[in-house]
Order: sequence, then structure tokens, then C-alpha cells
Amino acid sequence: MSAMSLRSLNLPGVGTKYEFQTDKGDTVAIFFTKTGTIQMYTLQKGCHTPSAAEMTPVEARRLGNILTGAIIEADQESVEIAFSALADLRVTIHSFLIPKTVSGKTIEDLQIRAKTGATVIAVCRNDMNIVNPAPSFVFEAGDTALVIGESDQIKMFERQITVD
Amino acid sequence: MEGFIIALFVCLVLALISKYLSIPAIPLYILGGILLGKAGLGIVHLDDVSHFFSEIGLLFLLFFMGLELKLERIVANPTKVLTAGLIGLTVDMGIGFTGAYLLGFSLMEAFIVGAAFYITSTAIVVTSLIENRKLMFKETETIIWVTVFEDIILIIILALLSASDQILLLFFVKIALALAFMYAISFYGKEFLISVLDREDELPILFTFAAVLVTASFSLYLGIPETLMVIALGAALATTDPDAFEQHARPFKDVFLVMFFVFFGVTIDFSGGINWSIIAIICALAVLSKLISGMIIGLVIHNSAMSGLEIWANMISRGEFSIALAVLYGSPLIATTVAVLVIVTAIVGSFTAKYSTRLRSGIIHYGRKKALMHRPN
Repeated sequence: MSAMSLRSLNLPGVGTKYEFQTDKGDTVAIFFTKTGTIQMYTLQKGCHTPSAAEMTPVEARRLGNILTGAIIEADQESVEIAFSALADLRVTIHSFLIPKTVSGKTIEDLQIRAKTGATVIAVCRNDMNIVNPAPSFVFEAGDTALVIGESDQIKMFERQITVD
Repeated sequence: MEGFIIALFVCLVLALISKYLSIPAIPLYILGGILLGKAGLGIVHLDDVSHFFSEIGLLFLLFFMGLELKLERIVANPTKVLTAGLIGLTVDMGIGFTGAYLLGFSLMEAFIVGAAFYITSTAIVVTSLIENRKLMFKETETIIWVTVFEDIILIIILALLSASDQILLLFFVKIALALAFMYAISFYGKEFLISVLDREDELPILFTFAAVLVTASFSLYLGIPETLMVIALGAALATTDPDAFEQHARPFKDVFLVMFFVFFGVTIDFSGGINWSIIAIICALAVLSKLISGMIIGLVIHNSAMSGLEIWANMISRGEFSIALAVLYGSPLIATTVAVLVIVTAIVGSFTAKYSTRLRSGIIHYGRKKALMHRPN
């Protein structure tokens, strides 16, 4: 696979431009303008006029979430929430299917907080929700755990707990 | 004082109109000023208060220009910037200066008219590029570089015009000392400046305002042009945290620059022997000369006449810098000429910028049709 070449450029008075070409030859360009809006242009290979969409920062972030695939994973979904007032704090909430390897162990046994930094805030078992499970809570195969943390902590959880 | 409040209210209405119709605001402010002032109803006059406010507007315009002035970018991209910039300078300044001189302006007046004729409005150009969603066009980068080049030429013009009545050596020594002082403060006081700008209280905005005004009044005291020094201050402070300075200076620029445009309109006087045909010729030349320079730039840089057309369509508008030159160095006759020039080119320019894609596809379509008709059977 060829590496995607991302070109970034600062246009005086306008803002910052990011542009890259896809493997198939289409071009995507994003401009963060000084007016605070974000413009996204796409230019199909062989065409001369790009089409453009102008977005507010919130809309752009939503588009980003869609593009990273965060929202639309069916039984394992994840939402990132950014709190711009709290020094741009970003919290991710992710749901995981509990594998057989973890079945029968408690949250305490797994040392989830110590090992990953993430916290299990709810478990869904047979369409019943157990909110804020105690450390002595015993997982069963087929449970869905809702985990909260920063994206790194979520990744750590995925690696350490659900994949063995 | 009532006049000032009336002007402020009219500005507010004009700003709303400009945003809703998405047409450039600068010509509207000047028209509003003309309507209220000497040439119109005569209810608003330039007094000490409004003069002071307009002056602050001009200072902040130049300070902003300094903040945006990043020479290392030009050094990083020299051939394109220089080629496109020099074509624009030769063609537009040449046509503007020669035209004005042949139409009866004195040599010195023709130089100022030529400079005002040459310099595009960065504000109008950039806003229209964003609003018309043209940022991805390959011509956009060229257009932006040309406006950056023009900023540098403007600084040289300001230096030339203010140096003309000075003892040169002393003048340059004073300027060099002032520059060294500003850069030394920005260099050695960088951390202190950044810590001031990071504060949440009134200090950053007070500091920004004071820095600009203190620089301007010190320059007057030293007998060096405050316009140049304020640009230099912006360029020096841009080495610390330009975004923070832009953020704190923006409110002053936004409010006072509008005052500057309106009171420029207020001072315009149509009564004393205005030759309208001369002004009309200059306006027509202003649109034509950008077509010539745009075409050459398009052919040289992008190897395409269509690119030239696109560059022309986006670069017709003259604005803030032309007015600044007229206010600083122009006679009443030059002021009137530049006022009309800005109004006409900004309005024509906003239409060409909006409909350039249609114009281009129209021309391509017409060309194809013609080619088809001439095709031998």
C-alpha cells in the first residue's frame, strides 16, 4: 500500500490547508479558515471544479467521528465527547462484548482500573442493565460492558481485557 | 459628537446589509460616509474625536498587516511569488501611473494614484475566496502570494513617500534603531510577552492596544513615519505569538477601521471641479489592467488563459490600502478619485468573483461550439 501523502500549507490571511490524494487519484482538501469555519473540498480524478462544504467546528468534529468509524460499529459502538470548556477534555465511551476468557472473573480480579485506566460504568446482561457494577461483579460470556476513559485507556482495555 | 453616533448607527445598518447580501462592506461604508458628509447631506463632519478614531483604525489595519507579514514564507517560495508579484507590479503600477500622468495628474500625484490603483484589497479578496468556496482552486495560492507581495511593495511605497522630505541618513539611522529596539524586545522578552498574552484578564487586550498607540506616538516624537513603525511592530510581535495578538487586536481593528472608511467618505467633496470622465477612465483602466496582469500571470504560472481569467476575476477589488494611501498622501482630488475607484472596482470585483466559474464554463462551451461549427465534414 502506498503511503498517503498529506500536504499542509499555511496561506497568509486565509488559514491552514491540508490536502491529500487518495490511491484512486481523487483529491481531498480541508481548510481551517481564520473566520473559524472549516471548508472541505473534494475533487474527483479528471474533474476540474471541486465541490465544497462549509462546516462549523462542531459539524467538522461530527464528520471526523463518522470517518473514523467511531459511531457506526453495530454491537461495539463508541462515542467521543469533547468538553471544550475543560481544556478540551476528550472522553470516549465504548461498548465491548465480554469474551469467554474473561467469563467468571470479577472486575477486581481483572484489575481493570489499575491495568488500563478505564472504568466499567455499566454492564448489559440479557437486556438488563447493571449500572455502576461493584468491584466484586462477576462477568459472564455474552455480557456487554460499557467502558469510559480516554481513547488510549480504551485501546488498552481492548488489548488487555477483551483480546487474550 | 452626534454626527459620530449617526455615522456609527449607519455603519451598523450597512454592515448588516453587506452580510445579508454577501457583498463587500468597504464600498458600502465609503458610500455611507459620502452620503452623510460634505458631498451628501452634510450632517456628519470630521472632528477631533472622529479623526482620532479613524487614525486608530488605520494604525490597526497596518499592525494587522505586520502580524501577517511572514518573510520566511516568501523566502521559502521565492520564484513563484516574485514572478507573479513582479508581473502585477509592472503591469498594474505601470498602467495606473502612466494613465494618471497622461490624464493630467502631476508626477507625484500620478505616483500615489498609481500605487492606489495597483494595490488589491487583501480583505475583500480573501473574504470572497472563502465565501465563494474557491480555496482549493490552484489559482488561489497564486492570488494569495500576489497579495503578500503587494503588502511588501506597499511598505516600500510608504517608506519612499515618507523619506522624501527627510535628511536620509539620520532618518534611516532612527528607523534602524527603532526596528532593533522592537525586535530586541520581541526576542529577549518573548517569554514575558507570551505569559502576558496567556492571561485571562484585561491585560492582554490592554497591552495590545497600548503597544500600537505608544509605538505610533513615539514614532511621531522621533520624526519617523508611524505607519511603517506600526507595521514593523506587528512583524516583530509576530515572532512571539501572532495568533494571540490577532485575537486581541481584532476588536479594535474591526470597530475603528469601519470609522476610518466612513470618515474617509465623509471628507470626500464633489464640489470643486471634479472631472468625472477622468475618474471613469481610471476606473475602466483599473478593471482592464488587472485583466492584462491576471492573464500574463495565468499564462506564466499556470500555463493557462483560463487561470488568468480566474485570477483577474478575483483580484479586481481595490480597498483598504488604496484608501490608506489616499488619506496619508493624497490631495482632495486624489481622495475623490480613489473613493470612486474603490467603490467601482469592489462592486465589479464582487460580481466577477461570484460568477467567474460560470464565465469560464461559458467561454469553454462557446469555444467548443465554434470548433464544432468549423469542423470540416
